Amino acid sequence: MKILVINCGSSSIKYQLFDMKDESVLAKGIVEKIGLNGSFIKNERDDGDKIKLEGNIYDHNQGIEYVLGILISEKHGSIKKLEEIDAVGHRVVHGGEKFNSSVSITKEVVAKMEEVVELAPLHNPPNLKGIAAITNLIPNVPQAGVFDTAFHQSMKPESYMYAIPYSLYTEHGIRRYGFHGSSHRFVSDRVAELMNKDISKLKIITCHLGNGASIAAIKNGVSIDTSMGLTPVEGLMMGTRCGDLDIGALTYIMNKEDIGLNATNTLINKHSGVLGISGVSSDMRDVEDAANDGNERAQLALRMYEYRIKKYIGSYAAAMGGVDVIVFTGGIGENASDTRANVMNGFEFLGADFDFEKNDGLRAEEVEISKEDSKVKVWIVPTNEELVIARDTLEIVS
Amino acid sequence: MKELLEDYALNKSLKSKTGNIKAGLVGCGSMGQEIAILISKSGIDLTIIEVSEEKVANSLKQIGLQIDQVISHWGMTTGDKRAILSRITATTDFNELADCNVVIEAINTKKWVPNQPMRKAVFKKIEEVVCEDCIIISNASTVVISDLSGGLKNPCRAIGVHFISPALNSKIIEINRCRNTSKETLEFVRRFVKMIGKETINVYGSPGNISTRLIVPMINEACELLMEGVSTVDQIDKTMKFGYGMQRGPFTMADSIGLDKLTKWMEGLYNEYGDTKYKSSPLIRRMVRAGMLGKKSGEGFYLYKDDRKIEKTGSIFRLGQR
Repeated sequence: MKILVINCGSSSIKYQLFDMKDESVLAKGIVEKIGLNGSFIKNERDDGDKIKLEGNIYDHNQGIEYVLGILISEKHGSIKKLEEIDAVGHRVVHGGEKFNSSVSITKEVVAKMEEVVELAPLHNPPNLKGIAAITNLIPNVPQAGVFDTAFHQSMKPESYMYAIPYSLYTEHGIRRYGFHGSSHRFVSDRVAELMNKDISKLKIITCHLGNGASIAAIKNGVSIDTSMGLTPVEGLMMGTRCGDLDIGALTYIMNKEDIGLNATNTLINKHSGVLGISGVSSDMRDVEDAANDGNERAQLALRMYEYRIKKYIGSYAAAMGGVDVIVFTGGIGENASDTRANVMNGFEFLGADFDFEKNDGLRAEEVEISKEDSKVKVWIVPTNEELVIARDTLEIVS
Repeated sequence: MKELLEDYALNKSLKSKTGNIKAGLVGCGSMGQEIAILISKSGIDLTIIEVSEEKVANSLKQIGLQIDQVISHWGMTTGDKRAILSRITATTDFNELADCNVVIEAINTKKWVPNQPMRKAVFKKIEEVVCEDCIIISNASTVVISDLSGGLKNPCRAIGVHFISPALNSKIIEINRCRNTSKETLEFVRRFVKMIGKETINVYGSPGNISTRLIVPMINEACELLMEGVSTVDQIDKTMKFGYGMQRGPFTMADSIGLDKLTKWMEGLYNEYGDTKYKSSPLIRRMVRAGMLGKKSGEGFYLYKDDRKIEKTGSIFRLGQR
């Protein structure tokens, strides 16, 4: 069975074509700058064939049409005809409270998704455009939606509610939802598998550290807490997002800088985080280089980034009554050995005996990085959100 | 041979053209620059026409500076700036407008003159180079659109669209159609306004739209209060700002519009409606003569230093001593 996984952003589409027989990737690629100058598609086939095509791509429908065209083309294609695609799985950012698991996409489901658009005005509309494009171009192919928020729907009210008037929850759905659900689910399942343990008996803390970053407390296989909230701004310090911030400080800033809602949104989403503190870049590699060259603000940014993760690990261990395994994943979690080492430094009191030597220089592989007799295990598990979407889609359509 | 993306289109392609808009802008003074940033920020390619190479260069420079200003107030990022500037080309050659779907006239006239011959000439010049279905827009707020479109071969394509400064922040745009404006033109412009992230306010054939007709008498009346010695500039502004929840008081607003531009609005409205409530206050006329044009000249009802507003004490009396 062949499954196409689609992840539509506001001006981009990422895609992967899976052969579920062995979960191999037949082709993957990206459509960039949709509706803008200089749009292009990059496609990479499993045999190494690579192509970059430039031209006008006015909307998501057209972008997906070209992707399908490339996938069935003689020269760069991976399949002979569109009928070979058995199902399409979509990443959907926000499922609100309506979706606590992946779903088969029907008209009713699309209507429900439209109802939660307000909660993710930047992310959900392009996701819906992707679904509409597939419905339009290959109408008979079953589709599934996999939500970033669904995995965290198991959180209890005491962890998902904000301490603000209750009516704001009932009227507008203001609560914590959490994101990166597919990633937290994948790496927690995978680490249990790698450790040969039953996930329903484990307390796992998963640290998804990418440009966006979140951390989750997974007890007995279900998410009981996570650091992102109503929006992906809450929680850890990120590339350009501030993470946790005193709301009082925010209203004070708005008053002092005399700025409105739009500029405030840009301030906390794009000018803050590692970029805002270091003044160097939002890319951790650049900031690490600057820090090594003695840039004090870059050094501060790294210390803050690591300290925030440490605090969350501590609090989630408390929330679960202990922790059996801590997992690092995402671009930074998988590759930045210094970040991992600095986060894990000082967790001996918790029973985590981190293997600093083994950790040093390790990149993107499934490996345990705590010492053999460590009570709390520490692992690197590269994430694979696309595979989660493909697996869920397979389960739903078969 | 380079491969073409189009070769990979599926046969049943809908070849959607939505979003395929290229815009033109004739005249790029301070308001034109705001419009340019707003349009290109929305992912639309833009060609700017100015009268001389010097003005072309200056427009681009000022657009860069305006964006820097927004960035310093956290409203954009340097990445946004690069994207915006990559979408803008500026020239003196009207022929460069040939492939535009929509062209906006935003020229600066020194004085208000009846019948607007300069704007009319620009409208005609635009029509000579653009394609048949290109929409022609005027940003002038107090003109009669049917007057401007009168000289066009196809007057149905003309419409008034009033961008309110600061164009980036203002949530609405007034669309002023006249009796000639076709349904297609109106529909296109509504779509265009939505694309650039604004809400449409529909106005039918009224010079001054809604915004200018309401703001002009208020500023005039504020001048009356000041001249009568009822209160100070700052106190009058505060009353409207905090008493009625306006973002800016009438004097701050007048300074940011520019008193010269305001005078043109007032003359336009007075000429059209003949009502003295639109006739420019003698105080404003004196200030314009004295070169006190508001924020742009560094002095108006307030003093401006390093982009900061400083309250003047007894400005009305100081004016008398000059």
